Amino acid sequence: MALKKAQRKQEEGGLTITSMMDMMTIILVFLLKSYSTDDISVAASDDLVLPVSTTMVKPQLAVNLVVTRSIVVVDGVEVLRLTEEADEENPGDMIVAVPEDEKKGQLITRLYDRLLEKAEDAKQLAEMTGSEDHEFKGRILLQCDKNLPFSVIREVMYTAGQAQFSEFRFVVYQGGT
Amino acid sequence: MARKRTALADADELDLVPIMNLVTILIPFILMASSFVTLAVIDSTLPAIGQPQQVEQDPDDKPPLMLSLMVTNMGITVAGADAVLFPEGAPELAEGEDRPPTIPCPGSECSDLESYDFAELTRILGMIKDEYPDDENVILVPESRIPYELIVKVMDHSREDVDAKNADGTPRTLFPFVVIAGGAE
Repeated sequence: MALKKAQRKQEEGGLTITSMMDMMTIILVFLLKSYSTDDISVAASDDLVLPVSTTMVKPQLAVNLVVTRSIVVVDGVEVLRLTEEADEENPGDMIVAVPEDEKKGQLITRLYDRLLEKAEDAKQLAEMTGSEDHEFKGRILLQCDKNLPFSVIREVMYTAGQAQFSEFRFVVYQGGT
Repeated sequence: MARKRTALADADELDLVPIMNLVTILIPFILMASSFVTLAVIDSTLPAIGQPQQVEQDPDDKPPLMLSLMVTNMGITVAGADAVLFPEGAPELAEGEDRPPTIPCPGSECSDLESYDFAELTRILGMIKDEYPDDENVILVPESRIPYELIVKVMDHSREDVDAKNADGTPRTLFPFVVIAGGAE
């Protein structure tokens, strides 16, 4: 009698794996559907929130310039830090700006050097391969935080333009109206 | 005899544990590579630098469109399309006086993005497009303190009119090629 009772207890305690398997299969299918092979990725953070746009143009691989509220990054390498200055027009408010000692007029010197290196590398690659796919077209992907003032973006664009990058691709989240 | 039947039933049951292991490894891997937001890009170029070219113009021709949108915290000013906006001539301004925004903000300043009247912007650009169907360029001139998000919104509303549809059901294209100019201080 005691033996039978113990045996039944053991059977009841066994893990029912079938329902868990169903759940896992559904999750797997969902994840496979949202699996992405995009050319670019965004490391979203508090300092980098991209704006939302209705554009449908897909991004293509190019030099990636990221401007957050605190740093400027070119192809994953930090180039310079931005500062927060007192806003002269609105006393009490702070505004993000490029430090004065990093600039020559509107040109951000360290960013210019880095971008010029990238442009030279891209040109060399185009020369070596001789293929049209690798031809240097001066394209640059710009990922900017949505709250950045235009003054910072203008200086970044001017610097990129001086370093032979004149075709800008502003990276945004797709959606909205 | 009874013991034999039990053994047979046990052997028929599928062992799902290895598949579970496999799926458990696959899920974190795919989770990392998944994207739940779609990225897109807006094309723009720098203004062309060069000598201004003198273009011979027939006096009977329409004046060429040099559409510019100035975005300030007072509103949006549509410039370069006076022939459409003011068919009877632009209003006279006193010396040193700036032209008031074409689409002003309610009150004296726009406090946030929602204060800008984007529907009116699209309507005005639609009117200009009716007169200049072949033109596709617009120059954007934002003020220094204008947030990037607002610039993207203006670009969206000047690119297409989602309320007006083409024959194929796509939104009506307005001025898709945006050139961002230096901007006002």
